[in-house]
Amino acid sequence: MKVGAFYNPHLGAELVRGVGIDHLAMADPPAPHDPHWPAIKARYTLLLHDYLGQLSEPLDERSIQRARALAAQYGTPWVAEHFQCLHTEDGRYNVNYVFPPLYTEEFLRRFVANAVALQARLDQPLVMENIPGFFDVKASQMPEPLWLRRFFDETALGFLLDLPHVWLEAHYRGIKPEAWLAEFPLERVVELHVAGVEEDEDLQGPWIAPSEPSEEMLDFMAHAAARCPRAQAVTFDAFSPSLRSEVLFRSVERIRRAL
Amino acid sequence: MSDRALQDLVLRALADAPFRASPAWRQRALADPSRLERFARFLARHFYYERIVHFFKYSRALSRVSGRTPEAVLRTTAFEALLPTIVLGSRDSAAAVAKVIAAHVSSGQRGAIPYLPDLLRYEEAMMVAEAGPRVWRETGKRETRNEKGTTPELVEGTVLLELSYDLPAVLPKLLQPWTELPRCPEQPTKVLIARSKHGRVAVARADAAVAAVLELADGRTTLDDLAREAGLRPTELEATLAGLTELGAVRFATGS
Repeated sequence: MKVGAFYNPHLGAELVRGVGIDHLAMADPPAPHDPHWPAIKARYTLLLHDYLGQLSEPLDERSIQRARALAAQYGTPWVAEHFQCLHTEDGRYNVNYVFPPLYTEEFLRRFVANAVALQARLDQPLVMENIPGFFDVKASQMPEPLWLRRFFDETALGFLLDLPHVWLEAHYRGIKPEAWLAEFPLERVVELHVAGVEEDEDLQGPWIAPSEPSEEMLDFMAHAAARCPRAQAVTFDAFSPSLRSEVLFRSVERIRRAL
Repeated sequence: MSDRALQDLVLRALADAPFRASPAWRQRALADPSRLERFARFLARHFYYERIVHFFKYSRALSRVSGRTPEAVLRTTAFEALLPTIVLGSRDSAAAVAKVIAAHVSSGQRGAIPYLPDLLRYEEAMMVAEAGPRVWRETGKRETRNEKGTTPELVEGTVLLELSYDLPAVLPKLLQPWTELPRCPEQPTKVLIARSKHGRVAVARADAAVAAVLELADGRTTLDDLAREAGLRPTELEATLAGLTELGAVRFATGS
């Protein structure tokens, strides 16, 4: 199992010199004058993990060409996108943060059709990442794991399993994370994300944070990884200007030890 | 109502605080109001944190002199007071938030940085310019030359800033390592700030030709009249308009 992190440009110098990291996920394209980018590109396997577009609608040609160009630039083994619907169709409202679609038949049809269409235009496999919900919307028609299972059955795409997202949903539902995880289509998982969670003042509870995963989260990761037979990589999912170098390197090391 | 339209309602409720408080939303009872409100506040702070880090990065770089980090405003009573009125992505909300950020940074050791007032106006303008509806995906056919109008008009949000200091000369230095405060030439300078329809904000120095065209581009003045009134030759006007269109500052009106 490969273990990596996200490319955080403010930590570029440390990442160029550092050891113990197999790959870097790219949430943003490199800045034009990033002095570390040439060495980063030469040294690491890079995973495309940018915002390509929300697949509740078909991606337009401009977005597809951008995805293709980034995938070629990175030489990525797979392309990741999220199960998200974060802006309105008319572009007027945008929450600027990953937000799940309603888990309905209509959205399932939309995501299946648009993901298959995107996959047809890519030269690499497309993998899709689960997104946490902080509250349920009464219009949803089925549980998220069932919706995901049907999506992957119909598309045969890969699953990027974000474990803190599963852990948080279990927390807010008051159930054991392992029990909630068991509902997900783990046989489809290609990559896992692991990160820390911290208390958030607004949410009055835990949420994803650019911090080290707890021992409990690492145990959860080991539990999950053992149930994902096709998984190839685990990525420490922290991308923030506030992330410190020692947190990144120590997290990767602890993930590797826990696997 | 389609599921997609319902999703849009939920997104609007998260982004638009007055809508979230309205009977039109509350009567639908689609989500637990307390949870939704908490998540909306979380999103608002995240939304503006990202914009502060991006648009106020120069003020951030100066924080060890000013004593004020711009993002600290997000936990002040001034920002809290705005939360019930905020509509994420709206220009009015961007202007209101940018104003409290600038006031917060100004409340520090502003005297130590002579060009700080100019810098804050510049950063405020950048943040406001970025706001507003954007095109997330192209849905229609491409505009062809024949379909273009012939009367240029200013795109909403485009700003021509008149500064007392030559900020473009100092901005890159602020983001490099420094021990002594980088100096900025005191020299009247005009900068143009514009946004593409996809939301990319661009900045360029503005010369007299740019300033004249921006003043006259009202969607009614023809190219001939514009060239005459701005005192530009046709080739100069064409080059200026090409640059302004590329930046997203000007578009061609197609009439009603």
